[in-house]
Amino acid sequence: MKKVYQARTEKKLRPRSFSRAIQVGIVLIVLLFIVLTASTLLGSERLPLFDLSEQQRSIFYDVRLPRILLAASVGASLAVAGAGLQSLLRNPLAEPYLLGVSNGAALGTMLAFIFFDRFEFSRPVMAFVGAAVASFAVYQMARSRSGMNVERLVLSGVIVTTFLSSILVMMTTLIDAGKLRSFTFWLLGDLSQATRNGFYLSLGAAIVGTVVLTWQARALNLMMIGERDAFDFGVEVNRVRWLVFGVASLVVGASVAASGSVGYVGLIVPHLVRMSAGSDNRLVVPFSAVAGAIFVVSADTVARTAIAPRELPVGAVTALIGAPLFIYLLRRGS
Amino acid sequence: MSSIKILRVFVLLLGLSIWCLSMTGSGCRGKTLAPPVPAETRQVTDDLGRIVRVPVKITRAISLAPSITETIFAVGAADRLVGVTTYCNYPEQAKSIAKVGDTLTPNLETIVALKPDVVFVSTASQIEAFKGTLEQNGIAVYVTNPNSIEGVLSDLMKIGELFGTVDKTSVLLNDLQSRLDEVSRRLNGEPRPGVFLQISKEPLFTIGKQSFMTAIIEKAGGRSVTADIESSYPKLSKETALALNPDAIILSTSDDNRVANDVFKNSRAMKNSKVFSIDADLLSRPGPRLVDGLEAIARDIHPDKFVQ
Repeated sequence: MKKVYQARTEKKLRPRSFSRAIQVGIVLIVLLFIVLTASTLLGSERLPLFDLSEQQRSIFYDVRLPRILLAASVGASLAVAGAGLQSLLRNPLAEPYLLGVSNGAALGTMLAFIFFDRFEFSRPVMAFVGAAVASFAVYQMARSRSGMNVERLVLSGVIVTTFLSSILVMMTTLIDAGKLRSFTFWLLGDLSQATRNGFYLSLGAAIVGTVVLTWQARALNLMMIGERDAFDFGVEVNRVRWLVFGVASLVVGASVAASGSVGYVGLIVPHLVRMSAGSDNRLVVPFSAVAGAIFVVSADTVARTAIAPRELPVGAVTALIGAPLFIYLLRRGS
Repeated sequence: MSSIKILRVFVLLLGLSIWCLSMTGSGCRGKTLAPPVPAETRQVTDDLGRIVRVPVKITRAISLAPSITETIFAVGAADRLVGVTTYCNYPEQAKSIAKVGDTLTPNLETIVALKPDVVFVSTASQIEAFKGTLEQNGIAVYVTNPNSIEGVLSDLMKIGELFGTVDKTSVLLNDLQSRLDEVSRRLNGEPRPGVFLQISKEPLFTIGKQSFMTAIIEKAGGRSVTADIESSYPKLSKETALALNPDAIILSTSDDNRVANDVFKNSRAMKNSKVFSIDADLLSRPGPRLVDGLEAIARDIHPDKFVQ
């Protein structure tokens, strides 16, 4: 019985075909390369390809490049966090924002912003702490005597998210006007504040997150079938849960501290990847990282150039591109 | 305005109130809520071209913007100011006047309870929100939103006239005008350095074509390097900011704006130590202290012309 079930499971999760997965992988890598190249060539200032003046070099290396790389690592971070949470919770809506992780990070950053503004690293640290505390709260609320229940978990996530949102709104109303202005912009997602250190941190988190979740991909595959079954197959369900929530807090904390709340990425990118490459997490996690990077770098290029020399908030662009794209693919797929 | 018209309105209001009193009270009072003793009124035109009916003698006024509060103080009518916003921090006495909330979300109940004759507002968007409620309660809504130094001066006069303090206002206007003339006299024929006005450091906000500050910098002997950007307060691309390479940077000082953004580290302004801080309240409020702001900019970017 167990063996039949396992065979069926493996079959269900197997990518439509191996060559299909390779195709998707190659397309993603090529797309990433094209998008990165195009975005380095585009900006509010026109730069020549060769013989850059000192000022032009500064525009390229100090402003444009760090921002593109930050966009890529933030995109990868949010997308893998979404992929991990969706598999863990067997819920297509699961993503960092819905589960309170993003708002926890946002509140942590806001506290750092108000109280420890002088220390550069207070923001990512507080963002991680905020994300972790929010995740822990959601996790504890969802636990009952009969064990963990996924519906309760999603419900708790929504409740914690709305609760934290109202605290954020309260605080923006209470802190004085000067600080409020930059913060409300930041809440919508803002990659213009890219710094080298912010980028290194976000890149490190993205790499750790992708590696850990890819390493746990088999366990996540089994969790997608059901936690009882995963347990029967020898998955340490609790450990995987903690690991996925921990990784999500880490990557989301680092991204939010560097760029605010860039929405939509964690929700739609993993779905797009599953639609094209199947549901095997060994592929979904790394592919989501690449696709997330492509998505956010593209959106940010639009944000930087559409009304140059002014800028759009990147969070608005991700939603504007993301929603129609998602609906199109959903309808085509069915 | 003809005095016959005023008389007619007066008689009409008188008649209405007598009719009101003759009723048993309850039904009528609830609907019209006319002031117990109808004051003599007149019609004036506000900055949006709206015709507003205000009492000839304004005794109770509320200001919904710091610039308006400063203007009312400057024309010498502060004794009639019964309500201000939480942002109104100048002059010192303004802090002790009753607060009615902030500029964008004032508390209507507090406003109505203070029984003002006129509420002064600074933006068109505010009007839509309260006009109905306030006018139902017999409170006039007057919009004053100057968008240039000339507008500030002419609105000072308009407000002075509204409150009947024309003499004091004229003295003030003469003084402000002569200070402005003195600045332009000293700067006559001087080269104009490129000035970047930093409103906030992160994200990088500055002034654009539609901001009155663009013209103020011009009058202070500079040239705003972001004068071509369509918008009043744009969030500026850092690439463009770096390429602009301003000769001077002015920080409109607030909590998050005490140093120049890092993109300016190799700019002419930084190399020549031409980074100046000016109190944001002097640069962002279109009131009488805008002249102080203008003088401060002129002194900073042309120090040799203002040696005492």
